[in-house]
Order: sequence, then C-alpha cells, then structure tokens
Amino acid sequence: MSYLFDTKSGTRYLMMGNDAIVRGALEAGVGVASAYPGTPSSEIIEQLSRASRERNIYVEWSVNEKVAVEVAFAASIAGLRSICAMKQNGVNVASDFLLHVALSGTRGGMVLVHCDDPGALSSINEGESRHFARMLELPLLEPGDFQEAKDMTAWAFGLSEELRSLVMMRSVTRLSHASGNVTIGDLPPTDKKAVFRYDGPLGDPDTGPVVTMPVPKNHVLLQNKLKKARELFEKSPFNTYTGPEKPELLIITSSACNLYSLEAVRLLNAGGRVGVLKLGTTWPLPPELIKKSLSRADKILFVEEVLPFTEENVKILAAEMAAEVGIIKFYGKNDGTIPMTGEMNPDIVVDACAKILGITYSPMPADYEAAAQEMLKTLSPVRDLTFCPGCPHRASFWNIHNALAIDNRHGFTCGDIGCYTLGFLPCGFNTMKTSHSMGSGIGIASGFGKLKQFGMDQPIVTVCGDSTFFHAAIPALVNAVHNKSDVIFILLDNSGTAMTGFQPHPGTPLDATGHELPDIDPAAVCRSLGATVEYADPFDIDGTQTALLRLMEEGGARVLIMKQMCALSPAKKGKKKFEVRVDENVCIGENCGCNRFCTRIFRCPGLVWDPERGVAVVDEVICAGCGVCASICPSGAIRKTEARA
Amino acid sequence: MKVLGSNELIAAVIDAGLCTGCGACVSLCPYLKSHDGKTALLFPCTRPEGRCFAYCPKVEVDLDEASLTVFGKPYTGEPLGHYIDIKAARAGHKMKKGNFQAGGTVSAIMTYALQKKILDAAVLTGRDGLRPVPRIVTSPASVAESASSNYSAAPTVSAFNQAMKEGYKRIGVVATPCQALALAQIRSNPMKEKNFTDPTALVAGIFCTWALDYRRFRKLLEGRVDLNAIIKMDIPPPPAEKMEIFTKNGTVEIPLPEVREQVPEGCGYCFDMTAEFADLSVGVHEGRTDSNTLIIRTERGADAVNGAVRDGYLEVSDLPKENREHLAAAAGNKKRRAMEKAAGEGLVNTGSGRCAAVRLSSITVQRGGR
Repeated sequence: MSYLFDTKSGTRYLMMGNDAIVRGALEAGVGVASAYPGTPSSEIIEQLSRASRERNIYVEWSVNEKVAVEVAFAASIAGLRSICAMKQNGVNVASDFLLHVALSGTRGGMVLVHCDDPGALSSINEGESRHFARMLELPLLEPGDFQEAKDMTAWAFGLSEELRSLVMMRSVTRLSHASGNVTIGDLPPTDKKAVFRYDGPLGDPDTGPVVTMPVPKNHVLLQNKLKKARELFEKSPFNTYTGPEKPELLIITSSACNLYSLEAVRLLNAGGRVGVLKLGTTWPLPPELIKKSLSRADKILFVEEVLPFTEENVKILAAEMAAEVGIIKFYGKNDGTIPMTGEMNPDIVVDACAKILGITYSPMPADYEAAAQEMLKTLSPVRDLTFCPGCPHRASFWNIHNALAIDNRHGFTCGDIGCYTLGFLPCGFNTMKTSHSMGSGIGIASGFGKLKQFGMDQPIVTVCGDSTFFHAAIPALVNAVHNKSDVIFILLDNSGTAMTGFQPHPGTPLDATGHELPDIDPAAVCRSLGATVEYADPFDIDGTQTALLRLMEEGGARVLIMKQMCALSPAKKGKKKFEVRVDENVCIGENCGCNRFCTRIFRCPGLVWDPERGVAVVDEVICAGCGVCASICPSGAIRKTEARA
Repeated sequence: MKVLGSNELIAAVIDAGLCTGCGACVSLCPYLKSHDGKTALLFPCTRPEGRCFAYCPKVEVDLDEASLTVFGKPYTGEPLGHYIDIKAARAGHKMKKGNFQAGGTVSAIMTYALQKKILDAAVLTGRDGLRPVPRIVTSPASVAESASSNYSAAPTVSAFNQAMKEGYKRIGVVATPCQALALAQIRSNPMKEKNFTDPTALVAGIFCTWALDYRRFRKLLEGRVDLNAIIKMDIPPPPAEKMEIFTKNGTVEIPLPEVREQVPEGCGYCFDMTAEFADLSVGVHEGRTDSNTLIIRTERGADAVNGAVRDGYLEVSDLPKENREHLAAAAGNKKRRAMEKAAGEGLVNTGSGRCAAVRLSSITVQRGGR
C-alpha cells in the first residue's frame, strides 16, 4: 500500500524527504495544497494530488508562488489547514504577500514549505531562504531527518493555529530528495468545512475582516506571536542534544547538516569530546535552550547551509548572555572554518572538527580529487550539459543564433528560466547572454529595447517558456508593449513545465489531478496587449530563420511563438516522427564545406562522429526522430523518412 | 598563393573592413552566410585552409596568378588591364526593349549565350525593392528581369557557388570587378582539386567605381523613397552631382555627396574600375545614354560578342579615341588612389605572413597605376 493511504499507524516506510512532508500534511488533515513547481520541492504537490480525492484535498499548480500562497491563505482564513510548497527563490516571489500575511495572521493551520538548493544542483542561484523568516517575522522550522520531516510537518499546522501565524518550514535538496525510514501516524477524518467569517469586529482573529491594519497594533501582536513561539520552542522535542554533558566542542546545526555532523563525530570517533545540538526551531531561537547549550562548551562550531543564519543569531544571544555564558570561541562560516558557500558534507565537518580538536584525520588523500578526475578521463568522455536528443530548444536556439549572426548587427538574446536556460552553453550555441529570475528575460529586454537614443542598434531578442510566460513574464511584456520597446519576445512553447516534470500550467488543459480546465492561449494574451504575434515551428529551420530575420527589421514589441512539444513529453509516448540515417557515401565529414557540422557544431547527442570512417552516424537508440539534422546537413547526407506508425 | 582558413579570412578581411560582400566565401559551406550585403561567420570552422579564403578577392590576391589564369600572361598594371578591343555597343533588334541601364549590352550578350547554349546557366543580380538579389537563370527570356544597376554590393558569387553545387558546368556571370577577381581565383583551382574544369563559360564584367553598403543606402532612402516602387536608379554624368531614383510614383533626386558617404571602406582599396579579370567588360558610354562601352578581353569574350552581333542580339560600333582616353584616365585614377591607400596602410605585399589586400609584382607596384 502507498504510504499516502495507509491508515495503519506505526508502519515504517522508506520515504523521500518530500514524501515524509506529504505524509505529515496528510496526518494533519490538510485541506488545500498549492505550489509552483521548482526543484527540489515539486514532488510535494505531485504526491498530494494523488491523494487529493481520497483525502478530500484541493490541490493546485498555481501560476506562480505568490498566487500559490494567496490560494493557500484563503483556505486558512476559511478555517482549513493549507500547505504551500516552493523552491528557495519562490519565497522571493511570494515575499510581498508573505509580509502582509505575517501582519494579518492566519486561522486554519498554514505551512509554507520552502526547499533550498545548497550547491545550486538544480538552480541558477544559491539563495538562502531562511532569512525571510527573520525579515517577515515568521516562525521557522527545519527538520533534521526524515522522521522529523513527517512529524514536524504534522506538528507545524497545530503550531500555526496556536500562534495564528503562518509557519515556515525549510527543507534542502539532500533532505527533500534523499530517503530514510519514517514511521507513520494516524490519518484524520476527511470531512472539512470552509467558511470565511468576516462580520466580527476588526481585530478579532476568528471573525473579523482579515486586514493588516491597524499596522502599529498588528505589528505588536506579531511580535507577541514570536515571543510565544520562543516559549513553545524552549520545550520543543525537535531541538535535541547528543553528546557528553560538557563536551570540548559543541556543534550547533540544523537540517541535513545534522546528519553530516553526526556522521563526522562518528568518523572521528569523537563522541566523548563533541556534542551536537540539532535545532529544529531555528527562528526565533529559544534563548534558555541556547543559554544552556552555550554553557556546555567553550568552543562552538556552526554547521549549516548556506549562509551563517543560525551562527549570527546565536552570536547575538551570546553577546546578550555574555555575563552568564562567559567567553566562547566560535567557529563557523564567519571565521572561515566552514566554507561560506556551497553544499556541506561530512568531510567538511570532519575537517573542521579535526582542526579544532587537533585530531589528525584525513577523510581522503589530498590528491584524491585530482587522481579521481584523471582516472575518470580514461573511463568516460567529458560530457557537457546538453539538451536531450530531439529537444525543440536546440532547434530554437539554432534558429535564433543563426538569425542573429546572419543579421550581423551584434544582436543578442536575454534568457529566462527553464530547460532553455542552458542556451548560454555550447548546446544552445551560446545564444543566451543574460539569465536571471523567472520573467526577467523580457524585463531586461524591455530595458535594452529603449536604449536606441544612446546609439544601441543591436537587435534584442528574449526567450521565455510557456510556463514562465504565465508565471512572471506577462507584466514585463505589458511593460515592453506599453513603452514601445523594440524587442522580439520568443515564446518557446513546448506544451508543459518540462524542466520540473511536465506539471500543468494555465496554458495546458488539465489541472494537478488530471481534470480538464480551460487552457489559456498565450498568443491571445499577447495580442490583447497589442503585440504582433506570429508562429514558427522551430523544426522548420528555413521558415523560422526567415521569420526572425524579417522581425529583426521591424520595431516595437513583436511576439514569435516557437511551438514544438518537448521530446520527452508523455504526450509523445516516445514516438519518432522520422527515421534518420546518414548516407555515408554523401557525407563529406571533415572536408571543406562541412568540417563535421552536425557532430562538431549542432551536436545533438543522437549524432555520433565515426573517426575511423570519417563520417557521421545516427545513434538510433537515442535519436528522437525530430529530423532537424537532415535540414542542417550541408551535403544532404542525413536522410529522413516518415517513421512507420 | 598560400590558402588559409575562415578564421584568418575573418581577421584579414571582414574585421579589417575590406569585405565588399561579393559572396565568394558564401554557399560553399554552412558557416558563412550573406545577408543585406554583409557576410557573417555563424560558427568557427577549424579547418586550416578553405575555399572561403582561397576565393576571396580581398585576401592577399596574387594578381599575376589571376591574370595567368584568365589571360595566360602576368598582370601589368595598365589602367584598363588586358584587352583585345574596345567598342561601343547596344542591344540589337533581337532584344525586346527592356529596363536597361544604358544600351542593354550585358543583357543582350547573356540572352544570346543562353539561347545558343554557350551557357547552361547565367548568374545575374536582380533586385527586390532596393535589395540586390543574385539569381541563377537558365531561360534566355528571364535575363532582362535582372537588367539595370543596383548600386549596392551584392553576393553574386555566392549564387555562382550555388550554381556550381547544382552541377552547372558552363556558367555565365555578370560580375563587378571584385566579383570577377573572385571568379578568376575560383577558375585557378586554388584547392588543387582533381579533375577540375573551369566552371565559367563567360564572365561579363561591369564597370564599377564603388558599390554602396546596402543597409546604409536603405537608411538613406527610407522616408524619401518608396523602396518597393523603385524601377531604376542612375547617376547622370557630371556636373549633375546627384543620384536619380525612378519610381512608380515619380523620380527622387539624392545629392551625390550623401550617397558617397554610404560607400563601404573596402571599395577604397579597389584598383579595378573596368572588371579587368572578366572576358568582357561593359560600362557607360560617355555622352550617350543609349549605348555602352564594351571592352573585349578574351577569345571567348570575342566569340560571344561576334556571335551576338551576327545573330542580331547586339550592335557594335567604334568607340571614339577620346572616349577610350577618358576611360583609361578614370581607371588609372582609381588604380592609383587604391594603391596609395593600400600601400599606405601596409596592405600590399606584406611578406610578414599577414593577409594583405593585394599581392603585386614589383614592376606593378612601381607603376602605381600609371
């Protein structure tokens, strides 16, 4: 039985961290779940959508993180428990609304799960979202293992209701995507009733209108909530201490770093010398617990990801408590004992502890990394990040790159967020020259398109995926159209949120649970703004480049929708459109006139260079049958024929 | 001549501002493309040598080699180059009245050569609005569609390369001087291909003092001329100092100094006014608007002219001595100015391995176009 539906309390499952969070939410009787997909958070809503019918939950892929929080908030003030999930930078998007939610307060338990990505394994930033808790004055939890991920989630809803405050719960990639044992609890009844009461007096948390005003009064109330949180956290079972009563060194840690710290102590066999304080409630910190902990040792090491959040918060308390806890030597990110950026791992903690304690321990030989890299060279070829075989983005960037180069006015492309972010790399022919947050491609392009008066005559192109379009690009496109900015806005429409796993978005006709919804046509949206809209099939190389060259001669905001379904889309069912092969008698290989154009420049992984015979060959196993390479071969050696059904 | 690759070509010609957009490096491979008169390298090609470099008329072209290819004798530096005869010429009674620049001599000869299968294809340069568009023409009746001057640089040789790729063996080309020089290099088989045969059957050169940068020319005319309504353009002889643009909606005059500002730098290094490496060269006939000056340079050029006259496509007459002298003086002036400019910038016979604009014999250098 799936852990989603198992009602037998006490059963143990091997669960991914995100699954544990889902189970916790189910055990808390969550009524509404909303999110915008983003690694490493996406599985939370995906799994909840599977349980939506049986557990009576409304699950929604919202247009963006801010709207996701708004949707979940509505449920909360209608008396339901709600959960909202996002990746680290989603909190930035939602932060404006969150600032006001903090002030207005909540009713039904409301939990915001934000999954950070230390090391930027699947991100283009290494944002540290914990600081938002302090900035927004919201309580923050950090589960330290998989069981806690489940238990803490379930508990967070009650905490939210007790405080009448949204509760932030932060995960990281190595918790969300790693797996561990989790013992499940009971599932509550599924009958839930939503009513929004607003006819009580202003300021009544249960029945009054829900507004942030009067601000001075509500801000005091908010601080009181944090004060109450501090008191609750003093007794929280999620703050644990492991080690001797008076260790030589105390590690203060949280989240996945707890696991690294415990492993490091074990590896060093230093259990008798090192204690580990694992904090589950990292904002606001419980001062008495901190005082007690600081009194244990003269040396304190902070192990956390990414920035020194707890380190700095504890140091403030230590300064305030200096008279009682004495002088402490602190080690962490600020003094360089632990790297300020990147992912942590047990070796980093081992290294730090060994230095502080004077233990000689080398987790691996000094030259291990270099030797391993050297050995790998003989075992596997160097592989760049690249688009999948048959990916429409390769064809799109091919067309954009070539049209810009042929146009010959140093035009360039502003990028956005999706698989196509790889467009700045050789797989995208280094076409993208800027890449920032979602929707910022058209925003930046809108700015570039107004620099004519300063002599800038380079054509400005920007690319944006269909999901990103709805998420954050529309206001910037409105800006570009309204301000008559000279930009070509290219919508790379691959019919889904491909990068995070084909979640639906407002342009697709299904909801999170597979039910039909009206799909919104991006072209109609663009036209309604007054932009000219054209379509191109990126697999039609000549047609698309001709359209682009023509558009580059025109002014104002022009929209070109490059429509072609993602090669991996479930809707394609892995079916090839073309059988592709190379006529080896026609292929001119390295000779003048080609110089391995397909395998050296176009570089679809489905094309392989055979150095012995001096010809290109098609790897039939991975070729997706898009047929684009047949269009780019200068000799006509790559032949495509309609694949048999 | 040493043949290098596209990277050297870009550095020596395009980045140095010498490119005239003739198209010699285009349609050979997928790396180089021509658009709006400009040549662009789409991706780096790592080959140490390539046809793009070998065909370019602006790398270190050895004019002796080119001259030996076309005429079997070295380059002399004479103002009008090697020639057999100079005539006045115009279209004959077999030619329908067309939108000719002057006498219709080029159209007449190309029509004749296609009609008589001397050519299996003709590479001409027509016009789409203001934009010059090279075309491969196989029907004699279609030649006149490309008549009249464009005044903008056109990648005509790219269409020639395309015609070669399509398998045409006897190609006729109407070429500006730089294009004719590119063709001379192509004909010299610089890549030492086995079983090479000269793909040209007739190169009709046209006199050229400069060709405009298409984009800049278009910008100059935008707002003044309906580009899609252009019928013909002309620069009347001095002292008019103007360009006339004939459109469906009337004639627009542009002061010549404004037009000259749109001449690309690369034309300033050109020492050839009369397309010296063509089989025959055609240009204005000073003082006449219904006739051309025709320079016959090679035997096959002479054969084409004689045949066209015989069959009524062309009429020829003697060109007054005074006209010849004026022409030689103008051509000599262009040659001298270009050589002085190129030499002053170290672009003649560098010997340093750098790709100069031109390689000349020491005698020719001494003559300096005189």
